[in-house]
Amino acid sequence: MSDFRRSQNEAHPNKTNTLMTAIIVLLILFVGIQIWFLFGALNNALQGNIYFAVTTFIGSFLLALASLWLLRYLPDPLKKSSGKKK
Amino acid sequence: MAKKSSHDHPEKMPTWKSDFPIKEEQVTHVGRREFAKFLGLLSGTLALGNGVIVIKALAFPAKPLEGEHFVCNADEVAVGEMFQFEIAGSKVIPYILIHLEENVWRAFEQKCTHLTCAVRYRKDLGKIECPCHHGFFSADTGEVLQGPPPRPLPRLEVVIRDGKVYVREEKQDQTV
Repeated sequence: MSDFRRSQNEAHPNKTNTLMTAIIVLLILFVGIQIWFLFGALNNALQGNIYFAVTTFIGSFLLALASLWLLRYLPDPLKKSSGKKK
Repeated sequence: MAKKSSHDHPEKMPTWKSDFPIKEEQVTHVGRREFAKFLGLLSGTLALGNGVIVIKALAFPAKPLEGEHFVCNADEVAVGEMFQFEIAGSKVIPYILIHLEENVWRAFEQKCTHLTCAVRYRKDLGKIECPCHHGFFSADTGEVLQGPPPRPLPRLEVVIRDGKVYVREEKQDQTV
């Protein structure tokens, strides 16, 4: 029997791909910004600029939260296809 | 058909295959879902690393040098020469004393700000050189002139009293 989810997937077969790509691109962007923050914080903290280190830590922490929150929207594996094979 | 028959008669399957019924591709393949989860984990780790920098800076701040420290007699270092010395505190830090001109002295930390190689004063160039990666610092101010070092050399104030050389923490605040 067809349900809403199955109809959705059949009507938009590329949806999972698009979602997955968008999530991965966003995650790479977040991680890239965090690496930049970490590099800056290392250099500035060594120079005695503690405020830069604190600011980048807050930014990095928020980005990490956003990254983990994004993982909630990872599309589920397509179970029906494996079920069909059987 | 052949597949079906092997499925029907599992006794024909090699022993190793029945012991490890997992295909190599399934084990080594990293799916997009796993990759995304790895990126999430990496993101958390980077935030943690940034937090460690803050904790280290707040809990273990660099202490200023206390008091004056005797280095050597002024007549021991000729004009244009360099003298190496160490100051032992919570950790031993090597410094260099440079007799730039008559009555002009400078003292800098000897560790290059790039990768902490030992720097030396080049009399012929009039600059401080880091021989590891060809970094150059001003012998007058310690500012970076050339090369990979990102920050100037930490500097000490030199005091000459009764023909003896002393160093102490520099009082001027360096705003960057």
